Amino acid sequence: MNKLYLWGIIIAVAMLAATYYTLVITVGDSGKSLSEVMSGDIVNALAIAGAAALVIITTFVVIKYVRQMQDDTADGTLINESWDGIGEYLNDIPKGWAIMFILTLLWGMWYFTIGYPVNAYSQIGEYNEDVAAHNTKFEKEYASITGEKLVEMGESVFLAECKVCHGLTADGINGTAANLNKRIDTKSVKYVINNGSNYSLLGSEIPMPDRSGLFNSNTGALITDAEIDAVSAYVANGMTGAGADVFAGTCAVCHGEDGKGMEYVAPNIVAYTPSLVINVLNHGKQGVIGGMPAFNRLNDKQKEAVGAYITSLSK
Amino acid sequence: MFHWLEKNPFAFAVVVIVTIAFAGLVEIVPHFAQQARPVIGTTPYTTLELAGRHVYIKNSCNACHSQLIRPFKSETDRYGHYSLSGEYAYDRPFLWGSKRTGPDLMRVGNYRTTDWHENHMKDPASVVPGSIMPAYTWMFTNEADIDTAYAEQVTVADFFGVPYNEPIPMKDGSTKIIKMGSDVAEARAMALAEAKLIAQDMKDQDVKDAVANGKIPEIVAIIAYMNGLH
Amino acid sequence: MEDRPLEYDYSVTRLFLIFAIFLGITGMLVGVLLAWQMAYPGVNTFLGEGLAEYTNFSRLRPLHTNAIIYGFVLSSVWASWYYVGQRVLKVSMAESKTLMILGKVHFWLYFGAAFVIVVSLLAGVTTSKEYSEFEWPLDLGITVIWLLWGCGIAGLIAIRREKTLYISIWYYIATFLAVAMLHLFNNLEIPTYFASGGVGAWYHSVSMYAGTNDALVQWWFGHNAVAFVLTTPIIAMIYYFLPKESGQAIYSYKLSLLSFWGLMFVYLWAGGHHLLYSTVPDWVQTMGSVFSVILILPSWGSAINMLLTMKGEWQQVAASPLIKFMILGSTFYMFSTLEGPIQAIKSVNAIAHFTDWIVGHVHDGALGWVGFMVIAAIYHMAPRLFKREIYSKSLMATQFWIQTLGIVLYFTSMWIAGITQGMMWRAHDQFGNLAYSFIDTVTVLHPYYTIRAVGGTLYLIGFIMFAYNIYKTTTARPVEESELQNASPMGA
Ligand code: HEC
Ligand code: HEC
Ligand code: HEC
Ligand code: HEM
Ligand code: HEM
Ligand SMILES: [Ca+2]
Ligand SMILES: [Ca+2]
Ligand SMILES: [Cu+2]
Repeated sequence: MNKLYLWGIIIAVAMLAATYYTLVITVGDSGKSLSEVMSGDIVNALAIAGAAALVIITTFVVIKYVRQMQDDTADGTLINESWDGIGEYLNDIPKGWAIMFILTLLWGMWYFTIGYPVNAYSQIGEYNEDVAAHNTKFEKEYASITGEKLVEMGESVFLAECKVCHGLTADGINGTAANLNKRIDTKSVKYVINNGSNYSLLGSEIPMPDRSGLFNSNTGALITDAEIDAVSAYVANGMTGAGADVFAGTCAVCHGEDGKGMEYVAPNIVAYTPSLVINVLNHGKQGVIGGMPAFNRLNDKQKEAVGAYITSLSK
Repeated sequence: MFHWLEKNPFAFAVVVIVTIAFAGLVEIVPHFAQQARPVIGTTPYTTLELAGRHVYIKNSCNACHSQLIRPFKSETDRYGHYSLSGEYAYDRPFLWGSKRTGPDLMRVGNYRTTDWHENHMKDPASVVPGSIMPAYTWMFTNEADIDTAYAEQVTVADFFGVPYNEPIPMKDGSTKIIKMGSDVAEARAMALAEAKLIAQDMKDQDVKDAVANGKIPEIVAIIAYMNGLH
Repeated sequence: MEDRPLEYDYSVTRLFLIFAIFLGITGMLVGVLLAWQMAYPGVNTFLGEGLAEYTNFSRLRPLHTNAIIYGFVLSSVWASWYYVGQRVLKVSMAESKTLMILGKVHFWLYFGAAFVIVVSLLAGVTTSKEYSEFEWPLDLGITVIWLLWGCGIAGLIAIRREKTLYISIWYYIATFLAVAMLHLFNNLEIPTYFASGGVGAWYHSVSMYAGTNDALVQWWFGHNAVAFVLTTPIIAMIYYFLPKESGQAIYSYKLSLLSFWGLMFVYLWAGGHHLLYSTVPDWVQTMGSVFSVILILPSWGSAINMLLTMKGEWQQVAASPLIKFMILGSTFYMFSTLEGPIQAIKSVNAIAHFTDWIVGHVHDGALGWVGFMVIAAIYHMAPRLFKREIYSKSLMATQFWIQTLGIVLYFTSMWIAGITQGMMWRAHDQFGNLAYSFIDTVTVLHPYYTIRAVGGTLYLIGFIMFAYNIYKTTTARPVEESELQNASPMGA
């Protein structure tokens, strides 16, 4: 075998092996195996095949011509003209090239008239089929995803969708979004008491009044600044410390003695519940920390899962 | 025949031009009438949004961000419904981009918010660790060019019949009117009113003060634009 | 026909050639900056926070593409035209005063426009259309410059002594006509200042086309701008410089004929491959894919013709770094014109589009084919322009290997980065959720961006060596006319 071909094989193999290993390593680094990432997606396989074909074909075709440079000699009849000393042979076109050209032309005509005639293919149709297949597959699996597994699924949603705002550990990234390891902070409670809240946290529009609608039954008067400070800290600290009396007198009617909320009346404010998270995802909210967008492109199971995950964080 | 052409440059040029012009005619021309129709619910840009779009273009955000969601499950999961031709009816120029160094932004208004953009544009890596997007700090002081946005509104309304000040059908059966000022002064006032709503949700005191004083920093305009991308 | 060589006049060539080297350094320097910015975003503020508006990635990126494509490449193309044109048509520019004036005005207008363009891009004046970023005043200026060149071509052809047009001339003519057509249609826009009765910025305009139509026109333009700025004029160059430098006759006239007309016909249909899975009609996309695959053969035809022209001449390839540039250039031309069609297959494009694999493809062509060919052309012209030998052959050889290493690092890293990213975007996990958030697919690329930046830096270093070599050539050992027939004379 010619030394050149050996080099060709080395180059082609080296490139493909390098690609393969880096894919394994990089994808592996992110905690998933390559086969897991690639599985069931013909597009991945085609891209790899294309990449391989590219290296192999170019390498060996070029080697073929380099060998001709090494071993062959130029000859043929020259054309009559010569331009600045440049001549042209009247050689025939290389056969391999001509055949390939004709084949691709025929293939093109076939493709366009018989293979995939105009309007026979619709990318949206293909999309709809893919989505349907995906959905049927996972609808079946969803039924078995509960408990710990549901939390795990929720974590996967969180890492793909939520961590850009809430951070990898859900700590809220220096207060730019809510810290989800903890139900709520003092600042937010205070803000809600001052301004009220109406973000369908219960699923439908049941508003919480602002301070002008919040009576402290202990004092028989509207809630005061000092009381707001106290009760905010109390709620944010997980219902401990001073302010218990204000809470009992003002908030408990709706949020319950223990702050765990009442159905159709007020949400749980001592712990996250899956339903609260789901409602937030359905409607979004604007609080003192900032805006939390609604996430309508998640499906119900995904919302349920991420709800379970967030609930698990503060337990 | 070919050798004859090679001795007759004019004929040669004519044959070349016919050969190359042919494809363009077949490919492009048939679609002009059909493609420009908006889908229901697509509205033209308000003055402030358009000014924001100009900021986006001025800074070539399209060098890193696409605005084209392809019909793949993985893309619709990540970005929302795949793009429809009619949704681009008011996009002059189109901003599909050709490289996704950053994510697609076609519907970013659905899942990011004013305050997030504010933090992110000021210092992307502080919000998204590992981000390689540049910080756009000068947008917090440069003023948006409302006049040019208004000039463009007038132009597209005149030349292309873009429906400003007309009821536009929405998906839920209602209609919506996107207003355009009757002169520059009114356009500026309308943009400022819109800017005030955005500034409300922002944290940067200098920006809030500027808006309160009747100025519109570029950041406010570009956030208005991004919030409007659905 | 006369036997004595004509006294060709290279004054216009010289201007374009020097400017091309200057623009090449500028454009590549910006490219290297971009590459480091993607690896280390801190580089965005390398001149301080205060200037970040003008030094950040997104402001600089259009400057890179424009400085390189319409600066470095076009300027080199024109340098070669004002050289090759005279020689293969057998007339001297000195024979026509008009042509000389046209040529000089052509250069100086272009020179002026280049500076306006740099300033306006830094200031953020752009229409955002890729490779066609300029606002209408510049569009008009460019039209004038282009027409000046057209007049130059027509004029030189009109007074030619050699009746039959050489292959290179076919490609120059095609370049002129196609770009004129593309430029006109992609830049139909309405200046808003005038349309609105004097409101806002005077230079601002709005496109005549909206949305999907705009995209169709833009990529019909964009694809063919690649064809007729980064391909056809470069083929024009190689058809002259390779046989000239090696003293060999072109392998096959018929092959050059079929490749030329094949390329003319097929290229224009392939633009749809930039819009796969977009909102343009399915059949336009299919057509883009199909014609891209057919395009392999006309493209390879020229490259094969060049490789076969060197049949039996391996000793020349081995001995001359100048010829090495052209042979490796042809190889990269084959590589990128096979890579392109593969990326144009819909299922492959589903992964490749929007990723760094496309950027890799671009630079296979840009660095390996366009860059190398331009470098070879300038090396060949320099001794003839200055009547001196090339300053240093060993410097040229070192440059060749450094730049080759640079390209290999560039395209392998981008190829791996693109495929990795494309796959990660598509991946779903065991629950049917997206497996990665977007930022995961960004941080994973850091090593590849770093490798690319190193590769790009090597390429730039090689280019600076080239500039130095050419600069020193102007003072190197003088040579006789007779030494300039074929292989360029080179010092040690
Ligand atoms: C009239 C009934 C009512 C009273 C009294 C009431 N709340 Fe609420 N509260 C609600 C409702 C309803 C919501 C949900 C509002 C929404 O959907 O945005 C709510 C929401 C909240 C929230 C927001 C939770 C979140 O995740 O954003 C906090 C904090 C809160 N209440 C604290 C208090 C405190 C502290 C008091 C007493 C000082 C109080 N509430 C009194 C009805 C009440
Ligand atoms: C654009 C940024 C952003 C994204 C993306 C985001 N969040 Fe939030 N989220 C916020 C902000 C800001 C808040 C705080 C709102 C406030 O001021 O109360 C918040 C609050 C919350 C809360 C607390 C609401 C309350 O009533 O206290 C929950 C639960 C939550 N997010 C869950 C999620 C989940 C689950 C996801 C992903 C599917 C997500 N978030 C994605 C910005 C975001
Ligand atoms: C160097 C490339 C680059 C440039 C230029 C750039 N971005 Fe980004 N952008 C990114 C990357 C990478 C991300 C993902 C990481 C992150 O969120 O910061 C991103 C994320 C974003 C996001 C968040 C979208 C999402 O879904 O999370 C928005 C919005 C955004 N960019 C807007 C802009 C705007 C507006 C500009 C121009 C003024 C711009 N970007 C310029 C690279 C860039
Ligand atoms: C047979 C020839 C070729 C074909 C079929 C082809 C095909 C393609 C395809 C499919 C893309 C990617 C589109 C996308 O998904 O974004 C592309 C991009 C590109 N190609 Fe080629 N290519 C060819 C040759 C070349 C050559 C020789 C060059 C010269 C340098 C080149 C320069 C480019 C550039 C600059 C882009 C980027 C366009 C953008 O900004 O998106 N191509 N090409
Ligand atoms: C020193 C050498 C060079 C380096 C380091 C370099 C680097 C870069 C970088 C970093 C980008 C941006 C990629 C992205 O957005 O992801 C880019 C884009 C581009 N460069 Fe270069 N470049 C170099 C030389 C060249 C040359 C010589 C040409 C042309 C002849 C060229 C043509 C282009 C084009 C057309 C694009 C746009 C690609 C696209 O949009 O897909 N570059 N380059
Ligand atoms: Ca591009
Ligand atoms: Ca223009
Ligand atoms: Cu193309």
